[in-house]
Amino acid sequence: MIQITEVSKSYQRKIVLDAVSMHVDHGQIFGLLGPNGAGKTTLIRILNQMLEADFGQILFDGQSMNNAHLQYIGYLPEERGLYKTMTVWSHLLFLAQLRGMSKASASANVHEWLAHFQIQDWAQKRIATLSKGMAQKVQFIAALVHRPKLLILDEPLSGFDPLNVELILNEIKSLKAQGTTIILSTHNMKSVDEVCDQAALLHKGQILVQDSIQNFKTKHSKGYISVRFKGNMLSFANALWTDFTLLHQSEVEDGVFECTLQMRGQSNINVLMASLLDKVEVQHLSEVLPSMQEVFIDLINQKEPQDA
Amino acid sequence: MHKLMLLTQREIIERFNQKGFWYMLFFGPLVVLLLLVVLLKAADQGKQEIKVLIADPGQIMAHRLMAQEEKNLHYFFIDDYLELTEFQIGKAYQEFDVLLELNEKVLNNKKCFVFYREQLGLDARMQLKFQVERRLEELIAAQHSKLTQQEFSQIKQGIIFDFRDLRDPKNESKEANAWVGFVLGTFVLFFVGLYGMTIFRATIREKSNRIVEVLLASVRPGQLMLSKIIGIGLVALVQIIGWALLLGIGFTVLQQTIFLDIFDPSNWGGGGPQRLNPLSALVFEQLNFPFLLIHFILFFLASFLFFGALFSVLGARSNADADGQQFLFPLLILVAFGVFSGVYGVYYPETTLTEVLSYLPFSAPVLAFISLVKGVGIAGYTTILLSLLILIVSAFILLSLASNWYRKTILRF
Repeated sequence: MIQITEVSKSYQRKIVLDAVSMHVDHGQIFGLLGPNGAGKTTLIRILNQMLEADFGQILFDGQSMNNAHLQYIGYLPEERGLYKTMTVWSHLLFLAQLRGMSKASASANVHEWLAHFQIQDWAQKRIATLSKGMAQKVQFIAALVHRPKLLILDEPLSGFDPLNVELILNEIKSLKAQGTTIILSTHNMKSVDEVCDQAALLHKGQILVQDSIQNFKTKHSKGYISVRFKGNMLSFANALWTDFTLLHQSEVEDGVFECTLQMRGQSNINVLMASLLDKVEVQHLSEVLPSMQEVFIDLINQKEPQDA
Repeated sequence: MHKLMLLTQREIIERFNQKGFWYMLFFGPLVVLLLLVVLLKAADQGKQEIKVLIADPGQIMAHRLMAQEEKNLHYFFIDDYLELTEFQIGKAYQEFDVLLELNEKVLNNKKCFVFYREQLGLDARMQLKFQVERRLEELIAAQHSKLTQQEFSQIKQGIIFDFRDLRDPKNESKEANAWVGFVLGTFVLFFVGLYGMTIFRATIREKSNRIVEVLLASVRPGQLMLSKIIGIGLVALVQIIGWALLLGIGFTVLQQTIFLDIFDPSNWGGGGPQRLNPLSALVFEQLNFPFLLIHFILFFLASFLFFGALFSVLGARSNADADGQQFLFPLLILVAFGVFSGVYGVYYPETTLTEVLSYLPFSAPVLAFISLVKGVGIAGYTTILLSLLILIVSAFILLSLASNWYRKTILRF
């Protein structure tokens, strides 16, 4: 859906984006990751036509991106605001119309979204009278009131309480199910783990890597294996031989143990299975993949080992 | 265009929803009227005893005025022509404050000249006009009809009294009118400054509460800037028209109550009017209101586009009100420069510098109004139109530049 090719942007002499290339497929939830100052917001602003790239090309559904595509994009910025003197209804209607909707369609959509979030009774409230959480819900609705094909969310969960975080994450999944493509820029790696299909890591204006979440984890796997077995701990330890290191062990029931191992050299799960089968009764065995939080830290540290 | 309209509409609704707008709309004209009354009353507190010498070579008035002669005006007659220089320097005439010249044909040409040593208060001017005019009307009525003087007044053609400074008998400077023009021109800059500040604050507010980031995802920065200038400009225009209407009503009410028209015979019950009407002379006789209002609106709109673009850019450049104050200072200096140029234009109307200033966008409105109120010929009016054209062209050039500056700075937090 979005194809970004060699996009660069500088502010005076500071390079903020350096030949960034990435692609976002239809119906994906795409995580745009990176530490503060990596250039995520600048890239998002370029996608929203708020800034012009110095070089490079962006395609939207195969067409060179321009202002006409803005009606298909929804955007929730990290630092968002609302007009405090307007009512919830008039504000949402105003923003929907700015996205190119007719007044009638905008009214219908606003009504529908307020009903969807069960906040119809807020319609005539002034924004100034809303709590922070309420205002954030309105801001979230404002981003998708016109039913965009592409939804760009910059730190959508910041400031929400755990209940609302769950609500927003569910809504994001639901939008994906309906075919909406979502770009999610966040520092909340748990949410990336939970909802993203693909991600790109932006660091100092450059894309370090773009891949599926599964590949991110597999490629950064440290060879940890979790095993649950019934039997003798000594027999288990002997069976590991030199191919595996026992990192952690605990007895969870009488004679039932849970252990974490790390593979060495060319070892793999099959070798482990073969070693254990005649020594203990294996109840569960799985590879422990790193979280995106760990992958993120790992990647940044690889790039900047001095900061590790 | 649709988005520009939506943004503009939102701006207008927001301003109309503010109490300050309505307070300003209704209390502003009241304050102006109040100040005007105070000024006019103060103006009437001038010299108490004024000696008027009437040069009446044709002895038309027969050394007599109307019976209800005001006590603070003392009239003396001379049955011959009197040279102005002689009146100005002759020892025998130094005791007189005013020379009223009546030539023999005054009953036909209906015009006479009044030369004064010091500015006469409006009250004194009106008393003088009233008494002399009534006497002349009496004479005309007696000579040419069987009407009473009061009946004749109702159908008469007024006599023109041309008040002139003895030091400027050809009335080249028209200083009093120039000051009126200066005040009107200053009002243009006042409204521009007032509503320019509204643009500045609204831009900062949108930037500081970050709504600007949401808006710019839908509209171009230039549209956002222009919508604010157009929206707030239209609100200002509504206020100006509201002020004009309310001031018009206010003047009429004052005319009917405090400042009765002494030239209206219906006010003559009980031996003449109780009060004179300087306001009527100032407002309804000297100023061509519709003409001035049209020019006021034209100059306001052009100046607002010009200064509005600058206020927008400053707002976009600033992150907070306090931060913006320092950027605002040079702009307010420009507005003040326009006002001070007006003062210069009043005192030195014919200099090259005044002409140059009249073409500069900052000072054009004030200098144009000085000329408009003083009265201009075709050449003078062409100059005013040219200065308006320069202002409009400058405004559009500046808007285009400002749009670029605005785009570069609005997202810098």
